[in-house]
Amino acid sequence: MASHGKVQKRDFFDWLHGYTGQKYTTTLLFLLIPIILMILFTIIPAANMFIFSFQERDQFGVNPEWVGLDNYKTIFTDSSYLSTFRNSLYYLAGSFAQQAIALFIAVILCSRIKFANVFKGVIFFPYMMNGVAVSLIFRRFFQKGDGITNTEGTLNSIIQMFGGDPVKWLSNPDIVNWCLVFASIWRYIGFDIIMYIGAIQSISPDIYEAADLDGANAWQRFRYIIFPSIRPIVALQLILAIKGAVSVFEIPYIITGGKVGTSTFVIKTIDTAFTYQHVGLASAMAVVLLAIILVVTGIQKAFFREDK
Amino acid sequence: MKIQRILSAALTSAIILSIAGCGGNTANTTTTAASSGGNDTAAATTAAAGTTTAASADSTNSGEKLTLTVLTHRTDRLANGGDGSLEEMTKAFETANNCTVKYQGFTDYAGDVSTMMSTSEYGDVLMIPDTVKLSDLSNYFEPLGSYDDLKEKYNWADQKMYDGVVYGISHRGSVSGGICYNKKVWADAGITTLPVTTDEFIADLKLIRDNTDAIPYYTNFAAADWTLSQWSSLVMSASGKSSYNNDILINAEDLFVPGGAYYEVFKLMYSVFADSTLIEEDPMTSDWEGCKAAINSGKIGTMVMGSWAVSQFAEAGDHPENIGYMPAPFSVNGQQYAQSASDYAMGVNKNRSSEIKELGKKYITWFVEESGFAKKEGAIPTLKGSDMPDYLEAFSNCIFFTEDTAPDGLVGVWNEIDNDSQVGIWAGDAANFKIQIAEAALAGNDFSAIEKIYADCNSRWNATRDANATYTAYKAG
Repeated sequence: MASHGKVQKRDFFDWLHGYTGQKYTTTLLFLLIPIILMILFTIIPAANMFIFSFQERDQFGVNPEWVGLDNYKTIFTDSSYLSTFRNSLYYLAGSFAQQAIALFIAVILCSRIKFANVFKGVIFFPYMMNGVAVSLIFRRFFQKGDGITNTEGTLNSIIQMFGGDPVKWLSNPDIVNWCLVFASIWRYIGFDIIMYIGAIQSISPDIYEAADLDGANAWQRFRYIIFPSIRPIVALQLILAIKGAVSVFEIPYIITGGKVGTSTFVIKTIDTAFTYQHVGLASAMAVVLLAIILVVTGIQKAFFREDK
Repeated sequence: MKIQRILSAALTSAIILSIAGCGGNTANTTTTAASSGGNDTAAATTAAAGTTTAASADSTNSGEKLTLTVLTHRTDRLANGGDGSLEEMTKAFETANNCTVKYQGFTDYAGDVSTMMSTSEYGDVLMIPDTVKLSDLSNYFEPLGSYDDLKEKYNWADQKMYDGVVYGISHRGSVSGGICYNKKVWADAGITTLPVTTDEFIADLKLIRDNTDAIPYYTNFAAADWTLSQWSSLVMSASGKSSYNNDILINAEDLFVPGGAYYEVFKLMYSVFADSTLIEEDPMTSDWEGCKAAINSGKIGTMVMGSWAVSQFAEAGDHPENIGYMPAPFSVNGQQYAQSASDYAMGVNKNRSSEIKELGKKYITWFVEESGFAKKEGAIPTLKGSDMPDYLEAFSNCIFFTEDTAPDGLVGVWNEIDNDSQVGIWAGDAANFKIQIAEAALAGNDFSAIEKIYADCNSRWNATRDANATYTAYKAG
């Protein structure tokens, strides 16, 4: 028995020092830190949130009460919760425009123009900026001055330079959401353009050559070569746009604070948790949002599998 | 295959770019913190320094100087980022008790300290955040005495009281219902007596519009999450009844009824906001920091603000003598009333050694009785019988009163209903009734829109009240 154990032990150490053993230990050790971090900062808080969503609790978590599905009932029966998704439609509409513009710019940047890399850098830059900074820039951009406590913002200054009258961009409920959508497009379009450029550049140059020989013009090249080749990426981008539209947060929160009808579901969640201290209800709202995003992701996955 | 390749290329580029993005962000935040947020970084350094000294003081023998850590929201009075008058003032206490007092300032006091309170590390003496429910006070704070003993000596002794035990003593108080105005602007407009009714108030604003260049009323709507709640502070004064809220609760009345204080105060707010000639050009991009200097220099006539704002407006420019404070323009049978209320109450962290807790109690007593902080800040001192500050002269005809405590069995119920129904009399969330009223007024809707908002609040309030377990138990028993 003893000798048998010894042999096994030596076998294990041999294995450990061999190629496969070292491969596994290295992999495990490298994975250990990210996995611990993920469990600590993602899995445990998310699990807690899921538990909280069945409780009634304040932000200190003193004496939480189990209420079952009551929080979810509130969300789906009280119209003031789900109605905040209405504003997501603005961002969804904006994201269609965003995709069209991004595709247009990507096609231009992929043709032989001078300084293409400089343009790529400039256009991608906003995406690397902090969302809070972008929001502050646009608050200043859309500002309507009164000449007493503040001056005209960038946009109104330009309008005045051409003799126009300044506009109250952020006070008018009819246009404020479009202003916010504009800020959102400005920030995220760089990422879309890079995705499209990546896709367009992977098209084989032989096809272009053949098209040139056949005398295809620029539009025909786009319509019959580029667009069919990058269709999966277009679909992916549209699905990402839906995800983005349901979870809009920082731009309206910082520019308008959700006032003048610009509130979104995430802002409502924050108010529920930290203004009214219904952490349980707010957790349930977060779970609902998570579920929506999971469903959209599922659709996206199914879509791509079919395409293969 | 091709799709896979495209995808992997896209993903790789996304990963690389997001790493680059992270790098950019970090650099961004550090530089902003260093350049603009001098206040915060300084506060953070003090915080760190405070904790280390506290720890070392604990570890050495008890004959050494004790260190008391005090959390405060008054960053403008600390040496780091403020004028340092708080530390200066505290030297007397330090010498008298052979101890060191470390202040930690927080610019977002309620938010930061509420989060800290989920651990046991929330200073030794602190301003009690209002997010702590009265019934939970004993879990966090040391009892400071019985209500019956303290109420003779101090104003607002009931503010942080539960079951007859006081856990926090207000550090100062203020006239809660009032309006800041520029005396010169009002005089230049030809106004000789201050308004005592809402109609007179609106008429006076129109005089300012016609006779001066100043903006008659500045809404501060961009910061509506807290500036509109200043209007809520006019309600008790407008009612003239110390039991106004209690009566509504006990008699199961609607919150908003025509003629009632809630209804009339927000009707006045609607009337001001709905007349675009009386307010600033674009309320959505108003600027709170900028308006302080503007009211000081006479470019703004009027703002509804708690009296805490008076000293800030006075310090913001060259004409501190022009900043005045007037009572809420409401009268009951010809008599104006003014509610006085407590600012943050100070409590002692119960998770500390008895030595520190004793010192903390001494500190609180010294602060409210001897420090002179309240008078210097233009606030009403906590100790009864102290001198009142000068700027309250416009209140000479008013009757001061303090809101009654809730009856036994209903303590904290008002706030519970307010939170659970999400009416949020003092809250500033995007769906709040005050913001809805202001938006309706700014959009030019007529008053029927406001009555709809009132009715919605009433029905939510009443439904929540009737479902509240403590309330139904009180009514039954």
